Amino acid sequence: MASSENADGRRSVLNWLLGLWGGGVLGSICYPVARYLSPPDIPEAATLSVSAGSARALVVNSGRVVPFGSRPAIVIRTPDGELRAFSATCTHLDCTVQYRPDLERIWCACHNGQYDLNGRNVAGPPPRPLDPYDVNVKDDEITLTRRA
Amino acid sequence: MSARFRSWLEERLPLSDMVDALRHKTVPHHRYSIWYYFGGMTLFLFGIQVGSGALLLLYYRPSAAEAYESVQFIVTRVPFGWLVRSIHAWSANLMVASAFAHLFSVLFLHAYRRPRELTWVTGIILLLLTLAFGFTGYLLPWNDVSFFATRVGTDIAATVPVIGRGIVRFLRGGNDVSGATLTRLFGFHVAILPAIATALIGLHLLLIQRHGMSVPPSIERRAATDPDAVRSIPFLPHFVLRDLFAWTAALAMLAALATFYPSELGTKADPFAAAPAGIRPEWYFLWTFETLKHVPPTLAGINGEFLAVIAMGVGAGGALVLPFVARSTHRGRRLVVWVGVASLTFMSVMTALALAGAAP
Amino acid sequence: MRRAGRASLAGVAIAFALVSVSVRAQGPVDAAIAAFRDDVHVAAGLACTTCHSSKPPAGRGGTSSSTAGGAEAYSAPPRTAIAPLCATCHSDATYMRRFDPQVRVDQFLQYQASTHGKRMAAGETRVATCTDCHQAHGVKRVNDARSPVAPLNVTRTCGRCHGDPARMTMFGREATAPADWSASVHAAALLKRGDTSAPTCAACHGSHGATPPGVASVANVCAQCHLREAELFRASPKKDIFDAIGQAECLACHGNHHIESPTDDWVSVTEGMVCAQCHDDSSDSGKTIREVRLELDRLSTALSDADALLTRAERAGMPVDEGRLMLRDAREHQVQSRALVHAFALAPFSTTAAEGLASARGAHEAAEAAMRELQTRRRGLAAATFLILAFLAALGLKIRRLPPPGA
Repeated sequence: MASSENADGRRSVLNWLLGLWGGGVLGSICYPVARYLSPPDIPEAATLSVSAGSARALVVNSGRVVPFGSRPAIVIRTPDGELRAFSATCTHLDCTVQYRPDLERIWCACHNGQYDLNGRNVAGPPPRPLDPYDVNVKDDEITLTRRA
Repeated sequence: MSARFRSWLEERLPLSDMVDALRHKTVPHHRYSIWYYFGGMTLFLFGIQVGSGALLLLYYRPSAAEAYESVQFIVTRVPFGWLVRSIHAWSANLMVASAFAHLFSVLFLHAYRRPRELTWVTGIILLLLTLAFGFTGYLLPWNDVSFFATRVGTDIAATVPVIGRGIVRFLRGGNDVSGATLTRLFGFHVAILPAIATALIGLHLLLIQRHGMSVPPSIERRAATDPDAVRSIPFLPHFVLRDLFAWTAALAMLAALATFYPSELGTKADPFAAAPAGIRPEWYFLWTFETLKHVPPTLAGINGEFLAVIAMGVGAGGALVLPFVARSTHRGRRLVVWVGVASLTFMSVMTALALAGAAP
Repeated sequence: MRRAGRASLAGVAIAFALVSVSVRAQGPVDAAIAAFRDDVHVAAGLACTTCHSSKPPAGRGGTSSSTAGGAEAYSAPPRTAIAPLCATCHSDATYMRRFDPQVRVDQFLQYQASTHGKRMAAGETRVATCTDCHQAHGVKRVNDARSPVAPLNVTRTCGRCHGDPARMTMFGREATAPADWSASVHAAALLKRGDTSAPTCAACHGSHGATPPGVASVANVCAQCHLREAELFRASPKKDIFDAIGQAECLACHGNHHIESPTDDWVSVTEGMVCAQCHDDSSDSGKTIREVRLELDRLSTALSDADALLTRAERAGMPVDEGRLMLRDAREHQVQSRALVHAFALAPFSTTAAEGLASARGAHEAAEAAMRELQTRRRGLAAATFLILAFLAALGLKIRRLPPPGA
């Protein structure tokens, strides 16, 4: 009698332990799933478009280099006030280009390559123009989009 | 409270009938009954695939422009995205292994015999579907390795006479592997194949429920003289708890594999680049590729590759109709065992050769 | 005679030439005729008689290979007469702009100012003239890849003479330049990468006006591409010093033909290193050199450390995109720092090198964070595995304790 009571006791302890660890296992499955389901801070990959900062802060005749995925992009405001954007990887030997307000051109410091404000290679070694991106502004935020 | 709830359900759903049936269900327990667990294991891993696959679907994008980046996003930016992705990849491998183990154990234990022929046929089709799942899913990360493996893999279909080119175009959505291939294989992987698989799994389980677990002929013979050769254990709770044990252990293994051997991203597929060295399909296709490599260019004037593909087709066809052609005599069963051993050995040797050849 | 009726003569002359070919064995004249079919002058309506007069030239035997009627007429002009002959059209702006409105017509002028031209005018016929580089028959445009003066072929063409020791000794010159150039970074850029912006012989020496560039002017050529380095150099104290001692700007350290990729260890006062040619340890400049070298080395080490750790993290399956971006930024700063060496002062160099170092350290940090994340994952796995194992133990006990079947 006593032994069967002990057996009962042992069984309920065992069941309790089973419930405890089983709950733990379920928790260790549900916790990652729950975290996975809640959207991350950056909701999607920056493959096709990326934010390029404030439009107001980009003054006339200046440029800004921003990361676009794993490669740099350059967004410029021309002397006429227009916004344009291109891939910032020089087509010669892959250095990152910059905007030269004194030349009013996009310039590569590595071998003095120059691109005009339409991204066309106009001086120096670069063999090809820079790839253009579409520029849109909403609420002072510039968005660059790759052309398909 | 819970009693009221249960009676409310009872009035509407045949729950107690189901539970009663399960309570009365028994499973044979004998020397070889450990092999019974592989069917359930395959089902469990399929469930893992459906679950992890559904989670991946929330973030994955099936176009050539975005697929690679979306997988990159999942493993870098989504919390535990790396875990979900790697579990999906590893569970695929384990499921194929489990399916083959299930196939060969059923073969060697002769569970295909009457009246279980349809169970066997649906099982073979399910195995082929599993391989198709693996093939279609492999392309989805859209990296170098998967792109070229898909191209090489679909090229094999071209050796089929007359309809070969048509099959290749059907698989690729065009003449070459492209974004169209990605979208098409994605459609197969997440909708068409799961629909067919679910239906077949339902049928397969129904048939198992109908016929119960098969006892191998050798055990049956022994049971005539030795009553301890086979016992019965209740499905609930004995068999189920053991199943649960195996499934939980598999889960632990998956988590460990995902943590210590996570899937890599690779480099984004470039259709115009040269194929990188050492392109291989997944391990479960390696034996077919190694066989095709060793086949002589012509045999009796016919294209060697073509003959090999035909031979594999005949093999698959033979497997499908096995229960109808295998004789239920002792010699008939010995023949089946030898064919099984020969196939298993052949596939293992070819796989080993392929792995050895690829190792730098 | 030159212009009028040339077109009709072209047809007659070519027909005659073609017929002649079929009745004669192949000879140099036939080879010339065959080559001429592919010549850019044919498209312009020119024929053999444009350059070859119909009378045998005075004082010179022809090179005809038979006694048939027209062969002797097509003898080669004397070498000293070739350039003036070509110039009769190519220096005539009115004539040439028919074929290309933008074409240059100063080639002959340049040639006359060149070393080749001056020597030829003095009667030395062993130097180059138009047909040596452009060929006599089968002349092609410069941008035709088959032309001997297409960018990829220029060095081979110049090298026929300037790489031939026997010929060069006759003029008391070395024949090493083409071979030296072929071992340079510019040759690698042009021939292996197909970068046609890389300089060949003509880029620095000129083509028609070919002359070794003077000490003062060679740097202007380098500056066309290496503008940054040239500007820095000219703003540095070195410019005046080099002008005073008559030293060519770039050549002192980089050489002229065999230009190799510079490495950080050039910046050193150790015996045999580039700076040690003039500087030694004792002066202030020696201190600056050592400081610059120290920072270059520090940056280089930081870059390779970061790269190594990032690769380790990548191999372990951790994503490291941000780290790679920072490393790319650090590498660009390294390129800029190396350019800033040409300021020969610590100030602007140190700032850029420090920025590069910061980026490299950032990349290293990102890699470390990735490795830490890896450890966190493993700890998470350990916790989950512990829970699972505990569950399995309890479950195993439960299974054991189940009533025996059949009871």
